[in-house]
Order: sequence, then structure tokens, then C-alpha cells
Amino acid sequence: MNTPIESRQINAFVDGELDLASQLEMEERLRRDGPLREQVNGLRQLRETIREGADYHVSPAALRKRMASSVAPQRPPARPPATAAVAAAVQRWFGWRPMTTSFGLVAVLAVTLNLAWLPSSRDGRLLDDVVASHVRSTLGQHLVDVASSDHHTVKPWLSSKLDFSPPVTELQIPGSVFLGGRVDYLDGHPVAALVYRQGEHVVNSFVWPGTAKDSKAEFSEERGFQTAHWSHSGMTHWVISDVNRSEFKTVIGAIQSAEGDR
Amino acid sequence: MGDDENRKRFESLAMPHLDAAYNLARWLTRNDDDAQDVVQESFMRAMRYMGGFRGDSARAWLLQIVRHTCYSWLKENRPVQKVALDDVDDAWQEIAAPATDEPHSMAMRKADRLQINEAIAALPVPFREVLVLRELEDLSYIDIARIADIPVGTVMSRLARARGLMREALMPTARPTLRTVPRSTHVGGKQ
Repeated sequence: MNTPIESRQINAFVDGELDLASQLEMEERLRRDGPLREQVNGLRQLRETIREGADYHVSPAALRKRMASSVAPQRPPARPPATAAVAAAVQRWFGWRPMTTSFGLVAVLAVTLNLAWLPSSRDGRLLDDVVASHVRSTLGQHLVDVASSDHHTVKPWLSSKLDFSPPVTELQIPGSVFLGGRVDYLDGHPVAALVYRQGEHVVNSFVWPGTAKDSKAEFSEERGFQTAHWSHSGMTHWVISDVNRSEFKTVIGAIQSAEGDR
Repeated sequence: MGDDENRKRFESLAMPHLDAAYNLARWLTRNDDDAQDVVQESFMRAMRYMGGFRGDSARAWLLQIVRHTCYSWLKENRPVQKVALDDVDDAWQEIAAPATDEPHSMAMRKADRLQINEAIAALPVPFREVLVLRELEDLSYIDIARIADIPVGTVMSRLARARGLMREALMPTARPTLRTVPRSTHVGGKQ
């Protein structure tokens, strides 16, 4: 009979936390040890049950707001924030000036040009990336990294892979199935991709933290795909799918209203 | 001047992990209002101790502070619940290896959210925290060890024990009469 294995070893095995040698040894042993195999399966099931069933307590909106404002950079609190920001900007500007006038002038020109020119080209490039990423995801096998119809599973998974915690929700509209999430790469950083099926169509919803102010959804059509993008609560959203336009609008509405609820 | 930069740095470090902080605090205090207070205090502490952050895992660093704040809070507000931690680390041995005939799966699937949530909430704090960090935050043993301020070996024992307790809590509904005995193995099986 095999020597009994410590329960904690089995747990570590199920968690993928054994070192390589022990991992291999355990796999080898599993092949011949039926009871151990069942023990491992039982543990996996338990793990899955807990992960699927346990509540993930997302911070209440009020707390988030309170924390964000207490943490946000601010000048002396007596002054209203807008004035403080302007004052800070002016101060910074005058801090610059002594450097050289010409340098300042060049900087101003560069900034002005960039402001006029950059956003549109940046959005265009981003749009290309979004389309490419969507197509890639639907062509290959790599639609989701974590397959689950439950946001309680997907959200912590994504948060653990990213340095932010994306809003994750199922959509409350007919014909919508939440397939899961994956980590993708857009606009120069890792982003969360939430994947839904709408009828026969795949919807990719990309989210990452941005600095833009809240904005309304801007719709466009690109190579037969419907896309929309907007900012909300410090998150940039890009959504793309090949559903028809009216259905796409319903999807966007559902994503935004789910977001508003949190 | 430095203050603004500090705040900015803190904001980008801590705010992404607000949900994780709240989730841990909520599971440890088992109460919305208290969890909010704990998170708020943790963030204030974190902002003060930001110098101590070495730039590896902001999440683990922040959760470590949240946990610490929770413990202070628990000590003040729920002194009755204090657990004799000395017993804890050997306790996993009491849990026999799980029964190998597992009609469990069926019963387990049906265990509804409420039951699962109640079972977790009923775990003693040292077990609850490792389970929450592992299953809900999907943190590595090393991160958990750091957050809970215990060696990795202890993380392993506590997690094994926590799962043993969860199994016990979720299982008694499995009626013995329904137990199917698979092929040749008769090992385990509480009688």
C-alpha cells in the first residue's frame, strides 16, 4: 500500500503549487493510485464549487467614490479642486519658464500640434488594433483564457492577471451568453477582454484604465464590424462585434447600464 | 509638491485593488459597514506607509495592510472570537483524507450560494482568510504567506484544513443511502 500523502501536499498539487519534482512524482502516483485520484477530483470539485458559489464582494460605489476623492492629488483642501488644479498648472508653467524661452515655445508648438493631430490618429490605430484582436480571437482557439458564465469567477481571475480590476458583468438582454474573459494587448498595455455571444455572434468588450473623462459611446463601422468606445469611471471601453447595428446598440446599452449599476 | 506626487503614486497603486481590499475586509468582518471602515482606515495607513512598498505586488502589499487593520478591528470589536492559533497549524491532521467514494459531486453542485457563503463565513478567521485569498483572489501561496504573515508551509496546512472544514459543512446533506460505492475501492467513507 502506498504511504499516505499529506493532505496539504494534495491541496498544493491541486493548486499547482508543488515544485516540479513533487509535481511529477504526484502525477506518476496518480496514475496508479485510484483512491488518490478520486481524492484529487473531489478536491478540484470542492474548489470549483467554492469559486463559483462564493460571493465576491465588490466595493460599494459610495466607498469607491470616497476613497478616490480622499486619495486623489489635491492642493490645500480649503480651495475648490478646480481652482487648485489650475493653480497647480500655472505654477508648473512658471516653474518651466526660466529654462529657455525657445524651449518653451517649441514645447507649446509641439503640444498644440499633438493635441490637434494625435487623438484622431491614435483612435484610428486603436480601432485597427481592436479589429485585429477581435478577428484573431474569433479565428483561433483563443477566445477566452478563463471560460465561465459567472462574473464572480472571471473578475478575480482578470484582476489577478492585470494591475487593475475591470468591471465584469453578465448582460441582462435576451440572447446574450457570457463566455468568459481573457487578457489581451491594446494601446500599448494589457487589457481585459470580456467575451459574450449574442445569438451566433461574438462580442469582444475591451476594458482598461484611462485618464479620459466620462464620455458617451461613439459608434462606428469598420470593415463590417460594429464598434463603440467610451470612457466611464476612469475606464476606457472598446466593444466590437459583427452583429447588426441595432442589436449592437442593445448590447452597448446593456453593458453601460450594467456599469451604471455598480 | 512631494505630497501631490505621493498621492498620485498611491492612487495608481492602490485604487486598482479597492475591490480586492473590500472583498477581504468584508469576508473578515462579515459586515458591510465595518468592511468600509476597515478599508478606509487601511488606505490611510497604506498612504502613510507607502515608503515601505518595494514595488513588487501592490495587491499583496495592500491586502497585507487590510488584513492587519482587520485583525486590530476584530480584536477590538469581537474579542470573543479570538482563536487559539497554536492549535490551528496541526489541526489539519484531524481531518481524515476525504472519503474516496464521492457521491459528493452531486450534492456539492446543488449546494447553493447561500450555503457556500455561510460555510465560508463560519470558518475561523485564520482559515477563512487563506481560503478567501486563494479561491476568490486567486493569489499564490507566496503572496498569501506574505499577506497573512505566516510561512508557506502554514499556508498549505491552513488551506488544507479550510477545505476540509468546507467539505464537512457542505457535505452532511449527502444522504448515506444514496451513496454509490465505486468498483473495488472501499477506502474511507465515514460510517
